[in-house]
Amino acid sequence: MVLLHIGAFHLDIDSQHQTFWHSLTPQTRLLCAMLLLLAIVVTPNGHWLTWGVYAIAILAVLLVSKITLVVLIQRLAVEFGFVGVILLGTLFREGGEVLWEWGVLKVTTTGLTILGSVTLKSLLSLILLNILTLTTSIPALLQALVILKMPPLLVAILASMYRYIDVLIAEFNSMYRAAVSRNLLNHRRWQRLVLGNAIGSLFIRTYERGERVHQAMLARGYQGLPPIQKLPTVRQRDVVILTLTLLFALFGQIIYFI
Amino acid sequence: MHHNPILIENLSYTYPDGIQALKGVDLKIAANERVALVGANGSGKSTLLHHLNGILLPQAGKISIGEYPMERKYLKDIRNFVGLVFQNPDDQLFMPTVWEDIAFGCMNQGLAGEELNQRCYQSLLAVGLEPNEFRQRNTNNLSGGEKKRVAIAGVLAMSPQILVFDEPSAQLDPYSRRQLIHLLQSLPLTQLIATHDLDLVLELCQRTIVLSQGKVVYDGSTEKVLGDREFLEYHHLELPLSYSRPYCLVADAPNQL
Repeated sequence: MVLLHIGAFHLDIDSQHQTFWHSLTPQTRLLCAMLLLLAIVVTPNGHWLTWGVYAIAILAVLLVSKITLVVLIQRLAVEFGFVGVILLGTLFREGGEVLWEWGVLKVTTTGLTILGSVTLKSLLSLILLNILTLTTSIPALLQALVILKMPPLLVAILASMYRYIDVLIAEFNSMYRAAVSRNLLNHRRWQRLVLGNAIGSLFIRTYERGERVHQAMLARGYQGLPPIQKLPTVRQRDVVILTLTLLFALFGQIIYFI
Repeated sequence: MHHNPILIENLSYTYPDGIQALKGVDLKIAANERVALVGANGSGKSTLLHHLNGILLPQAGKISIGEYPMERKYLKDIRNFVGLVFQNPDDQLFMPTVWEDIAFGCMNQGLAGEELNQRCYQSLLAVGLEPNEFRQRNTNNLSGGEKKRVAIAGVLAMSPQILVFDEPSAQLDPYSRRQLIHLLQSLPLTQLIATHDLDLVLELCQRTIVLSQGKVVYDGSTEKVLGDREFLEYHHLELPLSYSRPYCLVADAPNQL
C-alpha cells in the first residue's frame, strides 16, 4: 500500500499530533491495527453487525487521532481503484436467487452478499491501515516490527526499500527527462521501447547501487544484521488499549451467538 | 595514534573480467599526513581506496593498516580504523533519518546510550550541522552539500584514525566545496583524498600521489607535480585552473610586471 503513494512521498503527515492515539507506542498501534484487521478479515460473509461494531472502533480512532480527512479520502480513492477490479469479480457468483441475467453474466443474492462483505472488509481494512500510516512514521513502524520480533534482516530490507524508492523514482524521472529532451515523444511504439529499456537499465542500476550501498555498510562495520536501537518503553495505557482491542475484536465475533 | 597508519607493498588487483586495475602499488602514509590521490578515470583510484577498508582483499602484495595486516580476521578492527567516505552520499546514507544513519557505524561498534548520543552529537557539530535541527531530518530531503556532510559525520562518529575520501568535492556547489575544504582542514586526522579537483589538492595537501593505469607514477610534493604541465598531460590530467590562468586579477600580478 505504501507504494501507491510514491508520487507524494510524505506518508505520515499526521504523525506529529499530540493525541491519546499518538501517545501509544508504535508497536501498540501496529498490534491494535493488526488485531482489528485480522478480526475484520476472518468475519464470515454477511455478518454485517460484526463489521458495524468494528466500524465504531475505527471511527473512534479516526476521531481521536485527528487525522486529515481529505488526505485519507484521497488515498482511499486511489487504493479502491485497485481493489475495485477484484471486487467486480466477486459479483458474478453462482448460488442463491438470480436477480438479473444477461447472457452468461448472472447477479445472484449470494454474489451480492459476497460483494458487499468483501467491499466492507476492504474498506474497513484500508481505513485502518491508512490511519496507521498517516499517524506513524515509517521509521517508527519499522522499529515496531523489530520490537514485535520480525526478523531484523526482513526489516532491514523494508527499511532500505523505503529509503531508496525515492532515489529510484528520481533516477527514473531523470532518465525519462533525458529521453524526452531528445524527442522521445515522436512515436508511440518507439516510446514503449525506450520506456522498456529505461526500466531495464534502472534494474541494472538498482542492482549496482545495492552493491555500492552494501559496500558502504561494510565500510562502517556492518556484520550482517542491522543494529538494534533503544526501544520506547511500554506503558500501562499500551497494555490497556491492547487488551481492549482484543476484547472488542472478540465481542464483534460472538455478537451473533448471543 | 599509529605512526604509520597505511603501508602498502607491491599490491596488484585484477577484476573478474580480466582488467588489471592495480599493478604493483607501493605506498606508505604517515600519521597526520593529508595526501591527495589523483589520476584519470580508470586509473585505479577507487580500486585502491576499496582495498584500504577491506572491501577488496589484496590478490597479490601486502597491506597493513596500523598494526593490522589486511586479513579477514582483522576486518572489524580495520574498518574501525579506516573511515571511508563514498563518492555518492546516496550510497552511504541508507538509514531513514540523519541521526540513525550517523549512529549506524557506532552501533556496529557496540556503542549505546549516552555515549552513542554524544558521538552522534559531536560528529554533527564537527561537520557544521546543527544537531537538534538535523537529527530527525529525512536523509532523502537533504541538499547535496548537507548529504555530503552527513555522510562524513557518519564516518567521523566511528572515530577512525584515517579518513579516506572518494571524490569529496564532486557535485558540490562552490560554497559547499569551500566549506568542505575548511572542514577537511579542521579535522586532525590522517587523510587520503582521491579527487579530480586539483585546485582542492593544491589547497589541502602537501603530498600528492599520481596513479596512471594502475601504477604509482609520482609520489611527492604537490606543488612540484601540479606545476608540470607535460607530466600531467601525459597522464591524462591537466594543470589546476589556478595555475593555468595566472594573474586573472591585476592585484595578483607580481610587482615587476
